[in-house]
Amino acid sequence: MLKIKEGSVVHWAVRVACVLAIAIFIVYIPTHSETARIGQFASAFTLIIAAMSLNLVLGYTGQISIGHSAFFGIGGYTAAILIRDHGWSPGYTFYAAAIIAFIVGCLIAMPVLRIRGAYLALVTLAVAVLFPTLLRWKKLEWLTSGAKGIDSVKYDKLPVWPFLGELKGRDGRAVFAYWLGLLVLVIAFLICRGLIKSRVGRSLIAIRDNETAAAVMGVNVTRTKVLIFGISASLCALAGVLSTLSTGVVTPDGQYVTLLGSIIFLLIMVVGGAGTLSGPIIGGLVYVWLDNTTRGIGTDSRGVVGFIFGWTNQSPATLILGLALIVIMLFAPTGLVGLFRKLSRRIVTIEPQGQ
Amino acid sequence: MLLDVRDVSVRFGGIVALDGLTFSINQGDICGLIGPNGAGKTTMFNVVSRIYDPFKGNISFDGQNLLDVPAHRIAELGIARTFQNLALFPTMTLVENVMVGAHCQGSVGFLRAMTRIGARKENHLIAEKSRDLLRELGLDKLAHHPASGLPFGTLKRLEIARALAASPRFLLLDEPAAGLTHSEVDELADTIVSLREKFNLTILLVEHHMAMVMRISDQVVAMEFGRKIAEGTPKQVQNDENVIRAYLGGDV
Repeated sequence: MLKIKEGSVVHWAVRVACVLAIAIFIVYIPTHSETARIGQFASAFTLIIAAMSLNLVLGYTGQISIGHSAFFGIGGYTAAILIRDHGWSPGYTFYAAAIIAFIVGCLIAMPVLRIRGAYLALVTLAVAVLFPTLLRWKKLEWLTSGAKGIDSVKYDKLPVWPFLGELKGRDGRAVFAYWLGLLVLVIAFLICRGLIKSRVGRSLIAIRDNETAAAVMGVNVTRTKVLIFGISASLCALAGVLSTLSTGVVTPDGQYVTLLGSIIFLLIMVVGGAGTLSGPIIGGLVYVWLDNTTRGIGTDSRGVVGFIFGWTNQSPATLILGLALIVIMLFAPTGLVGLFRKLSRRIVTIEPQGQ
Repeated sequence: MLLDVRDVSVRFGGIVALDGLTFSINQGDICGLIGPNGAGKTTMFNVVSRIYDPFKGNISFDGQNLLDVPAHRIAELGIARTFQNLALFPTMTLVENVMVGAHCQGSVGFLRAMTRIGARKENHLIAEKSRDLLRELGLDKLAHHPASGLPFGTLKRLEIARALAASPRFLLLDEPAAGLTHSEVDELADTIVSLREKFNLTILLVEHHMAMVMRISDQVVAMEFGRKIAEGTPKQVQNDENVIRAYLGGDV
């Protein structure tokens, strides 16, 4: 077995190699793949941000939320309304959506986070179910356009970014959505990482592990829970804005605006690895890959695959992920990242500093 | 007088857990709190750390009314505690557990954490301090081991390290010797006395291990059914009729 000291030359070399590999991968995708593939990655980034936001609340703080699709929707609708009715430039809607979702998130969290466990799950479930109904409400039609939803809220003309050059047409839009998604993803990741690797992050995990002990150590449990819920809501809203900007449409039936969205975020987070920083990233990529490769496997399949999945009339990705979830929960309760860590520990161990 | 408990009563439904308890602890003393199971010792701890609200009575700490202070500000005042049945953070490593103990010493909040302003520096300082405390309690070899699946006695020591991380003036120890062997108990008694000298502590100690309580306490309070039945030096309490009756039962 190999032993590497934290902060040693070898450790740094491994780190640099990993970062380089990821960087090459990131640049390779939009320059060397077909448009559809680029679009898939852009939508993966959106889902990853949503799963990351849920990870703060559920993975780290241990407070279950099935209501995150509502925050996704708040982001999506904020962007659409501001662009359509108020002529905002799309870029600024990110800030507005983040602030609105933060306020709504805190307001929901204040009464809701006093309850625990299954009851909390039920109340947040109600939020997820209520939100699309609210969007269809007659009295709000002036704002949300009811069941029709809001469409054609895309960028009129794509902004010109350095290094990217001028982007045009369908290909250009996909490439732009990719880089915009990546930018927001990196910012969201850095925010999450900053929170977790600090006094705040330790207090979140302390609340998850033992709330009473956390309070005795001086953690203001209620305040911490409310604020992290607000931050999580606003990150999820960023994902909603991204989704609106890349598809140009929001409707109350949108996949991620309804309860199904919450379940997908949850699935991605748990399959990737709850309570790990890279978990949602892995989970999101796996989900989108499965969703696209299994899309063809449906009613038209034959043989064993057709026998197993032939009765579904849409993509069985959610079904397959659901089965994967059961398997993963049995063999790797900390998700794919946890499984990877467990396996890699047999080959390489990194010795922490200060021993 | 550092801690002054006056006429404190706690009720759970119809059950009276504490019934007009009054006692006080002087600065720098080790005060032993003894009594049979169910006497209300742990309830007393939970009242002082503001987990339970008394329905009657007053507690003052260093001249301040403790009942005006919410639970999460207790650590800031300089009160730290350990738990009878362990209340550690099992998914964290030992050093991380102690770092949470230093929560009230830190200042990085949400905004500074997200922007990383001073967060690295604070992490470094607190980690350094936590490793020192682990060394103090002989746990430095296990610093990066998760705080689960270790022997009970080890985890009890970890709780003391975590409590000390808050730089407290007043330390509440809830049965620190439970589950230890005889030689370990002696060792622990020495550790407690030396920690008091080193960190200038006042200690309230709940313990069933009489030899240890009598050896290191300056003052002993004996309880039964939520009431104080005796108070004084270890010798006085040991010979008190009420205490002997409470422990052995029947008339003496």
